[in-house]
Amino acid sequence: MKSLVKEFTKGIIRENPTFVLVLGLCPTLAVSVSVANGIGMGVAATFVLLGSSMIVSLVKNFIPDKIRIPCFIVVIATFVTITELCLKAYSPVLDRALGIYVPLIVVNCIVLGRAEAFACKNNLASSFFDGLGMGVGFTLALVIISAIREFLGTGQVLGHTLIKGFEPPFVFGMPSGALLVIGLLLGLFNLIKDRKR
Amino acid sequence: MKDRLIVSGSPHIYTRESVSRIMWTVVVSLIPAGIAGVIIFGWDALWITLAAVGAAVSTELIFELAAGKKITVLDGSAVITGILLAFNLPAGVPLWLPVIGAVVSMVVGKLLFGGLGQNIFNPALVGRVFLMASWPKYMTTFTRPFCDTVASATPLAALKEGKVLEHIPYWDLFIGNHGGCIGEVCILALLIGAAILFIKGYISWQIPVTYIVTTGLFMYVFGGNGFFKGDWLFHILSGGLILGAFFMATDYVATPLTAKGQIIFGVGCGVLTAVIRIWGGYPEGVSYAILMMNAATPFIDRYTKNRIYGSK
Amino acid sequence: MNLHEFLSIFISAVFIYNVILSRFLGLCPFVAISKETKPAFAMSAAVTFVITASSAVTWFIYRFLLLPFNLAYLRTLSFVLVIAALVQLIEMIIRKVSPALYRAFGIYLTLITTNCAVLGAAVLNIDMFFVKGKPVVGSFYYSLFQGVCMGLGYTLAMLIMSGIRERLEFCKVPRALHNFPIAFIIASVLSLSFMGFNGFKF
Repeated sequence: MKSLVKEFTKGIIRENPTFVLVLGLCPTLAVSVSVANGIGMGVAATFVLLGSSMIVSLVKNFIPDKIRIPCFIVVIATFVTITELCLKAYSPVLDRALGIYVPLIVVNCIVLGRAEAFACKNNLASSFFDGLGMGVGFTLALVIISAIREFLGTGQVLGHTLIKGFEPPFVFGMPSGALLVIGLLLGLFNLIKDRKR
Repeated sequence: MKDRLIVSGSPHIYTRESVSRIMWTVVVSLIPAGIAGVIIFGWDALWITLAAVGAAVSTELIFELAAGKKITVLDGSAVITGILLAFNLPAGVPLWLPVIGAVVSMVVGKLLFGGLGQNIFNPALVGRVFLMASWPKYMTTFTRPFCDTVASATPLAALKEGKVLEHIPYWDLFIGNHGGCIGEVCILALLIGAAILFIKGYISWQIPVTYIVTTGLFMYVFGGNGFFKGDWLFHILSGGLILGAFFMATDYVATPLTAKGQIIFGVGCGVLTAVIRIWGGYPEGVSYAILMMNAATPFIDRYTKNRIYGSK
Repeated sequence: MNLHEFLSIFISAVFIYNVILSRFLGLCPFVAISKETKPAFAMSAAVTFVITASSAVTWFIYRFLLLPFNLAYLRTLSFVLVIAALVQLIEMIIRKVSPALYRAFGIYLTLITTNCAVLGAAVLNIDMFFVKGKPVVGSFYYSLFQGVCMGLGYTLAMLIMSGIRERLEFCKVPRALHNFPIAFIIASVLSLSFMGFNGFKF
């Protein structure tokens, strides 16, 4: 039980996919314009991650080693397609906001990375918690970045104005603002790591 | 100085010039344009310039204190960044705008890369395009010369919006009697400053001349209705071209080292500026053009490096 | 289908919506391989090549396989597999036909399988040049051309970045910002300066 908790928590801070492993940045930067989009993307990716991790760990013994990557990709793509269809059916607004980045979850390095590095070597329960932890870590990172960007770019967070009279610099809603925020955040994380040592 | 910075083998000649001496001379050469800005747009221009300079200098000071580095604020380069940033702002902006712009200029444009002599981009321009993307409302509201608070379009903006230009005499463009940014309108004052730098030998002719000539030529060919009908003199005298060509495209650090490289740099800036002015969404392209060529500078340098005598 | 369309596709794919600086596709290799110019160039050449080829192939698959049989929902799955297979095929062909080129591409060709720029280009082409399940006039040529332009945009960003980062080797960049953070900050300023092309009209 204790080890399962560990599998879950490591993805959140110690091996945070975004800030520590620096994986899956493409969707992180692209959709983090608003917190709502960030949460949507995080949940979608977590769903794919959970599903694919579980299936991969279940069928790992039947997959020949040589063609394991294509097999993983098929599993992942299936879950991505399910997500795509669900989003289109139940939340067309979010689907439009996330655009091409929903199908692109399939090439998100976090998902394939977990299948290759963890799920194909571990049992169902640990894979489940590993996937969940990574997914939560990814979502948290997305929420942090998108909260910063939404507040600076529009002066609001989740549609609520925080400070009256604040004139938001629009640049943070633009691609260059995203790159600046992620660059400074990664630098900040490095600084904290250096200080701890 | 520039032509004494050639990357070459020995023998080298000793000179008494120092970085801070050059920087303070550049500051002096910018003063005429500043005075002209104050005369044309009133005291606001002075306050904005002082705010930008103060913010730039204190940002550098705080950063260097925090990082435990050598304090270099007295070398004058932060002062130049502040002045150039303020010169690129309209006179009607609220005072916090130049402050934020100067902080961004110094931090993102210079300090994160390691300080003086390490920057890839011209810091003042980084601040300017940041402000332009962040608060376009303030950055494109210009005050009319010699009277407060009346908004007026710059000649270039009026041209872009397709308004029929009430013909501004070239003389008015030359002395700065039109809407625009604080330091860019008075060509006369800018030329006086540029002359100081030329006489001292601090800037070489390659970048400014090729930049201005290329822009003029390109506008003459493509800028009018049909080929070879563009008003080239209007385009040279309006906007930030003169300020950019003499004071920002000649940044020592972010531009190519060799004469050949500088000519490529100048021509590139000229073409990009003209292309943005004619077909782009913004009325003015000087800042973007210089930044893009700054980005290309390491490449230009690599292919125009002087050969060390005796090597391949 | 006219020259203006092609010009605006060119400007928007190379500068305004640059694959890396604005669409954030293929960021991982962008920050990982842009430290030196040579591998950066090899990578971008390989990417350009594969994007172009996959733009054509995925267009045919979508138009003549997925649409007629009402299988459009299999788009993501089929594209990923097709791109993976295509990369393998290209790798084999190049190894046979031109060992020199194969050595120049090196491992980068294999890495492209999971490069989101390739899949992104394919999906974008479908989104942009098919209206309600019907290809627009000249759809195939637009797709192919947009593929080439996205590759060019990738190459441009990659080359500029590698040039700058080679120079940064001699700069005193603060230690915490080494590698990734400073690369993102440079990319941010690049993206700001490319904004000069916003609203481009001929």
